[in-house]
Amino acid sequence: MAAKHPATELVPYLRGELGVDRRALVEQHLDQCAQCRESAESATAILSQLSVAVEAVPAPDWVAYRADLRRKLLTARPEPVDARGRLRPSMFRMPAFGWPSIAIGAAAAAMLAIVLVTHRGSGVQTPGVDQLELQTDIGSADVGLLANYRVVEHLDLLENYDVIEHLDELAPGDRQNHEASS
Amino acid sequence: MAAPRRRGGLIQVEFSDDELCRRIAERDANAFELMVDRHQARAYRLAFSILGNEADARDVSQEAFVRLYEAAGRFDGRARFSTWFYRILVNLCIDQQRRNRWWKRLLPLAGPGDNPDEPAFDPPSDEAGPESDAMLNQSVRRLRPALAQLSPQQRAAVLLQTQEGFTSREIAAVLKCSENTARVHVHRGIAQLRKLLRND
Repeated sequence: MAAKHPATELVPYLRGELGVDRRALVEQHLDQCAQCRESAESATAILSQLSVAVEAVPAPDWVAYRADLRRKLLTARPEPVDARGRLRPSMFRMPAFGWPSIAIGAAAAAMLAIVLVTHRGSGVQTPGVDQLELQTDIGSADVGLLANYRVVEHLDLLENYDVIEHLDELAPGDRQNHEASS
Repeated sequence: MAAPRRRGGLIQVEFSDDELCRRIAERDANAFELMVDRHQARAYRLAFSILGNEADARDVSQEAFVRLYEAAGRFDGRARFSTWFYRILVNLCIDQQRRNRWWKRLLPLAGPGDNPDEPAFDPPSDEAGPESDAMLNQSVRRLRPALAQLSPQQRAAVLLQTQEGFTSREIAAVLKCSENTARVHVHRGIAQLRKLLRND
């Protein structure tokens, strides 16, 4: 038995790809090596099964396929060609996102940076008269709620969804009692 | 070069792939239609064999034709047209597989054949037919999930060889690797298939 198995050459041998010399060497090895003969036989079987599998691929609806392809072609952007049908040198062709996109992105980033810096600077400004009035109103509303803290606490205890969902089912008298008790 | 061909009393001129490609670069719509006519079935079949589902096979093979239309001017005729075109197609398939893997990690939806608990073979068909056909169908159905377990390069190499009849050198040109590496991909792919089918 030969020392080295020509494993990667078995399929090229079976397909008749090898030159005369290599072919003779592989044949000689196969005569002596049962393991490689078995590999060659199983490779032949698998290759023939694969060729059957290929034939069994279901064909699509070719009319729909071509219609779909035409639609995709319409949205494709053909590369520029010169008079001889050759593509122009692509060295300066823009990538898919394009230089204008980069410029716009850079401008947007610069604008964002300016807005952030300006906003941070305005944080120490004193509020105007209108803003002060609004803050006073909100503050007093909060104080009003805190003054009635017991009522708020009780309402919070009533936050039982079962009770809320079935409020409509209460008898009128019960509802009055319930309202009176709360 | 255009080769004249007689069909039904009319002499038809059949253009080579290279000539059609040159005309597509000049935006000849008829040339593009002829090229798609010539290659759509093979392209779809290869994409289906690599990707394993109809929707992806349709999208990817169509995308390959769109790329062909866009970049036909780049084909310089040094390689065979089929090698050039299948490189585009196989690269798109491999990209699509990577995307699919990413999605499958996020959304582990089991497709047919994805479930390891499913029996590795199909139950006997109720349809009447020769026994040999049933056995072939069965082996074909066992092959698909096994193929799905190969690496993208191994699968592409094995399928290019069996489906397109590509030599190791042509597979190497499509996969952009050495001829020896292409042979290793084929060898390992077939060894892996043999192992998986034995374990079934």
